[in-house]
Amino acid sequence: MTNVCIEFNNVSKKYKTLLALDNISFNIQKGDIFGYIGPNGAGKTTTIKILVGLIRDFQGRVNLYGKDISINREEFHNIIGYHPQEAGFQVWRTVDHCLKTFGRLSGLSSEYLENRIQEILELINLSDVRDKKIVHLSGGMFQKLRLGQALLHKPEILVLDEPLSGLDPQMRYQFKKIIKKLAKSGITILFSSHILSDVQDIANKIGILNEGKIMRIGSPEELQSSFHIGNLIEIIFAKNTPLCDGIEAISDVENVEKVKNNKQLIHLKSNVDIDSSISQIMNKVLQQKCRIRSISLVKPSLEEVYLKYVGGETD
Amino acid sequence: MSLRLLFLDELKGYAKSKVMIVLWFGLPLLSLLIYFLQPDTEGVPISFLVGLLVSSIGGTLSGIMLSTSIVSEKNRHVYDLFLIRPVRRSSLLLAKYFAVYMCLVVAVVISLIFGLIIDEFTVGLSEYFLNETFESLIISMSSMAITCSIGIFFGVLVSSVPVAAILSVYLGSQLSSIILLPTFFIVTLNPVILALTLGISITSVIMSINMYLFSRQQF
Repeated sequence: MTNVCIEFNNVSKKYKTLLALDNISFNIQKGDIFGYIGPNGAGKTTTIKILVGLIRDFQGRVNLYGKDISINREEFHNIIGYHPQEAGFQVWRTVDHCLKTFGRLSGLSSEYLENRIQEILELINLSDVRDKKIVHLSGGMFQKLRLGQALLHKPEILVLDEPLSGLDPQMRYQFKKIIKKLAKSGITILFSSHILSDVQDIANKIGILNEGKIMRIGSPEELQSSFHIGNLIEIIFAKNTPLCDGIEAISDVENVEKVKNNKQLIHLKSNVDIDSSISQIMNKVLQQKCRIRSISLVKPSLEEVYLKYVGGETD
Repeated sequence: MSLRLLFLDELKGYAKSKVMIVLWFGLPLLSLLIYFLQPDTEGVPISFLVGLLVSSIGGTLSGIMLSTSIVSEKNRHVYDLFLIRPVRRSSLLLAKYFAVYMCLVVAVVISLIFGLIIDEFTVGLSEYFLNETFESLIISMSSMAITCSIGIFFGVLVSSVPVAAILSVYLGSQLSSIILLPTFFIVTLNPVILALTLGISITSVIMSINMYLFSRQQF
């Protein structure tokens, strides 16, 4: 039985002459936390707006649980919770009034909403401002309220468009904690961001979008392994330890291709037994009585992977 | 369901707004001012004048309020959070329209009652006065209905708040006077029936255009 929750099949969207999405296809499994990354203007918000129904004229097909959203729109309103990037509120409302209105519009009863709003406000740490007018909320509180309204009707799919942008470090931490908590409860989450560390912290699957095209999709590990930098070992010597003369001997170890960066980065030939090579290198270094602080296998960072696909430069 | 809910919500919002408070308290006070200024009304009841004044000032202010609030809400993406729910786009506009119109009707009624009270204490009420006041009420309401729909039209069409306000001031109130024009040329026309007919038909046409344009907009 298929576990696919969201499917984009050959979806394109054009704004006059600008091709915002160019035939993108991908799917998200139930329970995934899908990090959608790409530079500004890559088409992330367009993708999200198509999914939540704010953009309806597009080419291609988007399915939720195997059903076309263009045909079954009404059915999916209450399955999706949407945290927009920049949507505002009618600021004359209080937090409570705002959530009650959105809750009622989502088909929830007033009695149910009384308790549900309290639950949500506790989850997002806004209980203290329930009766405060929205106009008096700070930027971070505003952001939390956006999340709060998205969760009111207990959606199965949560779509977050740049949920962490503009937040201070403390608020970011809180927000990430909330998202992780929600993910644990089984909600499928799609969130867009251009902050790689946030995506790496939260997502179990990442899609890289650039100029309207999906460049790569996979788990953070898959993306990192797809960026081939060869077998690279980094040795950090203990502080105040002069490099031993004998360290030159590392070059003589079997399978070592080159040694550079002040003899700290060691390239091995491809298709070699890394564990055995590391042992040999360690023996060689220790024979020279050099003290080592650490030795590790270097993996590409997500940033390097991202820059590779969006056309930036790496060091 | 969503229209009723949105209407009650908008009504709550507008009723608390400064513009409506000014209309509800300011316009009846204007009736008093007219009485103290004692203009030569040539037998036209104060309540009749008050009705026209309210429709002119109130209609213009409401047109501005509607156009600017829609532009501002569009620009701040306020409607996104409504439209991801089972809410018709037309409901958003109709709720705003009826809420503001309802507030205006309240302002007109308060002002007319004030005018009638003044008339009663000054010249005494007669059937003629009551008929004139009723006529004034119908004309005011028809005129305001058109002004409000034009306010929404500019709100939907324009993306700059000052431009929407200027267009509402200059075109909204001017176009709403269309309901009085035919009576100047054809004296046999009944102004009440004409105002009602034109008010309902013009407002319906403009609101239909508004809803069509709004439904095609990209948010």
